[in-house]
Amino acid sequence: MRRRITLYIFISMLLSACVQAPVFKEEGYALIKSNYPIVRLNGDEIEPSYKLDIAAGESTVVIIYDSYQYDYICTFNWVAEAATAYEVTDQERSYPLTLYRWVKKNSLWAIRMDPLDPLQCTRDQIAKEINN
Amino acid sequence: MSTTPGLEGAVLTVDSDDRHSEQLRGSLGFSAEFTIRDHVFNGYWGLAIVGGDLDDNIRLVADTGEQVKLGVTRTLYGLRGSFGLSFPVNQYFKIRPYLSLMVSDLKTETVVEGLAITDSSGVTSTVNYFTSRAQMASGIGTLEALYSRWYGDNRLELSAFYNLIYTDSFSEDNPVLNVNNEVNHTVQFKSRYTGPTGLVSEGRPWRWQAYANYTKFISHNNRSLGYTGLFDFGGGLEWEMNIKPLDWFGWQMLGLRAGIIYGDNVDGYKFGLTAR
Repeated sequence: MRRRITLYIFISMLLSACVQAPVFKEEGYALIKSNYPIVRLNGDEIEPSYKLDIAAGESTVVIIYDSYQYDYICTFNWVAEAATAYEVTDQERSYPLTLYRWVKKNSLWAIRMDPLDPLQCTRDQIAKEINN
Repeated sequence: MSTTPGLEGAVLTVDSDDRHSEQLRGSLGFSAEFTIRDHVFNGYWGLAIVGGDLDDNIRLVADTGEQVKLGVTRTLYGLRGSFGLSFPVNQYFKIRPYLSLMVSDLKTETVVEGLAITDSSGVTSTVNYFTSRAQMASGIGTLEALYSRWYGDNRLELSAFYNLIYTDSFSEDNPVLNVNNEVNHTVQFKSRYTGPTGLVSEGRPWRWQAYANYTKFISHNNRSLGYTGLFDFGGGLEWEMNIKPLDWFGWQMLGLRAGIIYGDNVDGYKFGLTAR
């Protein structure tokens, strides 16, 4: 019986820890996570990153979606709100990648809200060199 | 037994001169891709609980000339897990090979009428009852090709599946059911067309969907199921709920759909919740 209660407590703790609230760099900052590498931020080339702190305000990020035939260089432009998390993923929409506002609903799941398509996605072989 | 992500049930009726069969099948499952960073390919996993019930009534002529009525009731429950990879060829086309393991329990009750059978105690009867139970393990290799394209706000999805199914079954009470190395092949072709409805719940839109599928049981004898091919088509609604359970995988759509099933000597319907 004690073992079962311990197991329930352990599983509850494990599940309740699944979705963590995002941690922001400081006041006036937002956070962007991506399943694919972010290679440019506001016009500057950066080390390929999957998570970035960005200052609130108008932001432009370039993210590369790889496929075997082409690499797609996708440019997103939006106004990032402070203390807000964003997530870029492939969701089989009309562009290879979509930007969402990431909202923690509870400990078990988050919601991807307000889908935003990229300004453009260009097919490019050069992306392979940037990524590698 | 095929599975569809979500909770789905189907009722099939096989009607031919010498056979009447009612088949119920259901599944509760989910499948998703997950990103493997710094690789072009993604991972793929799926998990499903499946169940089925078969009520088969067959009339046949025994070797000795008697008219025999065979009533078979089968109940099956199983658990299926899948794991594989997804290779995006380009934005529209991907190839997804994956392996599944399915373990299931099969209970069979058989009534044979019209054939004189003498049991082990020496009693002869023309109505005989048999029950048996078997456990089955199936390894399934699937190769899936998916193509999708947007036309304005509407989306077309086409996919083709080839399944190679390898089954071992074990039974303590009926040695006939101890079958090793049974190999079957099936192919499936699926198409789906979706579009916006203008309806929104909690800030997320509803879309309508229409689908048409064809399944071919390549290596099955027509006697085993009563059919070797099935068309099914129908429609429904799906809600773009877009949640990320456990902050791990995306659950994009939750839908309701219903359709009809049609094939040689078989018809039926299906209904359920879809999840993907």
